[in-house]
Amino acid sequence: MTATDTATIAARLVTEPRRTTRRGRNALVGYAFIAPAVLLFLAMGLYTLVYSFGLSFAKWNGFSPTWEWVGLDNYKDLLFADPRLAPEVRNAAVNTGIAMVAVSLGTVLIALPLATLLNSITRLRGLLRSVFFLPYVTAGIAVYYAWRYVLEPQGAVNLALRSVGLGSLSRPQGFLADPDTALPALVVIMIWGSVPVAMLLYLAGLQAIDPAVIEAASLDGAGPVRRLRHITWPLLVPITVAILLLGLRDTMQGFQIFLIMTNGGPGGHTDVLGLEAYQQAFLQSLSPTLGVASALGWLIFIAALLLAVVNARLLRSRQ
Amino acid sequence: MRRPSAGAVVAYLALTVYAAVSLYPFAWMVSGAFKDRLEILEGGHLVPHRPTLATLADTWSRLHFFDYFLNSLKVTGLTVLGVLVIYSLAGYAFAMIDFPGRRFVFWFFVALLFVPSITVLLPLTILENKLDILGTHTGLILPFVNGTAPLAVLMLTNAFRAVPVDLHDAATADGAGELRIFCRVYLPLARPTLITIGVLTAVPTWNEYVLTRVSLNDESRYTLPLALEKLASGTVPSYNEIMAGSLILVVPVILLFLALQRYFVNGLSGAVKN
Repeated sequence: MTATDTATIAARLVTEPRRTTRRGRNALVGYAFIAPAVLLFLAMGLYTLVYSFGLSFAKWNGFSPTWEWVGLDNYKDLLFADPRLAPEVRNAAVNTGIAMVAVSLGTVLIALPLATLLNSITRLRGLLRSVFFLPYVTAGIAVYYAWRYVLEPQGAVNLALRSVGLGSLSRPQGFLADPDTALPALVVIMIWGSVPVAMLLYLAGLQAIDPAVIEAASLDGAGPVRRLRHITWPLLVPITVAILLLGLRDTMQGFQIFLIMTNGGPGGHTDVLGLEAYQQAFLQSLSPTLGVASALGWLIFIAALLLAVVNARLLRSRQ
Repeated sequence: MRRPSAGAVVAYLALTVYAAVSLYPFAWMVSGAFKDRLEILEGGHLVPHRPTLATLADTWSRLHFFDYFLNSLKVTGLTVLGVLVIYSLAGYAFAMIDFPGRRFVFWFFVALLFVPSITVLLPLTILENKLDILGTHTGLILPFVNGTAPLAVLMLTNAFRAVPVDLHDAATADGAGELRIFCRVYLPLARPTLITIGVLTAVPTWNEYVLTRVSLNDESRYTLPLALEKLASGTVPSYNEIMAGSLILVVPVILLFLALQRYFVNGLSGAVKN
């Protein structure tokens, strides 16, 4: 036992009696500090969660005085029982799945080379990083309208394709009204919006790599490919996993771009789960679909939770 | 001066191409905002033949975008203020003060990160209706603040935990209470994190559309995204006005980002480096 250890213990002994009184006071101070956050959550968060969970087992149109309890029927209807609703939900689930995979992969495939290139240059790096980052901060209704404007039948994309001799790729009715191009167009815009953060995370990862390690490997005769495989890539794997999961989660939960740009059209080709829940909740006027909307919201929640569990597993196995 | 290598040329070329992709919709937004009603229908050309300020001026004053701008400013400003005050207090308590249930409450807040907004959107409007705040700015601000809880609690608790505990002990020895230590010592040291959270709250709040759309009815309370939607869904929507409105909505966000990106970008990439 060293002298400092003894001193610490002695100090602790001396302060022990005061500690007990302090602990009671500490608890009060602690509760006072978290009170605003907890109160706001009790008011705005907990009530809505519990209410939404209860409602998912009932049929209600928002106006009648009582709920009609139906147990698990809403969930069954959504998954297979309702002949009109279930295929619609399945279609929305397929579109959601396609978008989730395409956006996540597309983001990685663009952001990784972009970050590598950005890391390799010396001039203009800061300026280019700012430019690349703009889509992230501005993604929202204004930019979605700008995209709609360029994807119109007479819009810039069609005209550009025709002027460079790729007229066969142009879409006379516009990219968002064409069943073949509506979902791909939205996927491209979502990738455009999610590349910035991914690029930034990769750039930070690349800059965290000690140049001395790379240099030592070069001296030992490792070529660029081996350096990439054995030094850079292992360090970027956790970032890639994080970016993929972030992309999957955001695409699964987000539906604002679908609501603004296509509202699920043409003919359900861009219908996604979040949009379906939104329509069941707010656009069915007097039909008793609020319970179904809640149930769909909870199915999305369960999917998000599963994703989170996978996330935790992957991160743990890395360590 | 050294001649640039072939690799560098390719790198700059590729990066310039992606910079153009990043700026593409903004270029057309600006272009459209400076075209008049006739020229917007001709479409296709990026540089307006008869550039005019009338569209922007018209959108700003006749279409009341100034009023909507002030509404957006009010909602966003109060939301950011609420987030910073409420969650820096909570983050400090989670990081520095020992009280029963601390871990439970902390993880509870973080777990909320996984609740999709669509799951609680409907009951939220029902609740606000009962509380008689549906359709008011308060009815937007309270859920917006609450929605930032997981991110803000997580980041601020980490920021306060990173401050050397000696500072706390020294201040305690000087007889300062927790509130005083929090305000005078810890809050100033957490400034980069506070700014990061401020930007991360302000931008989505400024752009928020879904809850605003289902709750606001009174046009005088509209925020910019709703005003834009109203403009676009009019009988004869004209893209020059929509692009002018979009520009009015986007410019403050870009200015905020450019002014604070030093903190903001470091705050985001710091998550990787640690």
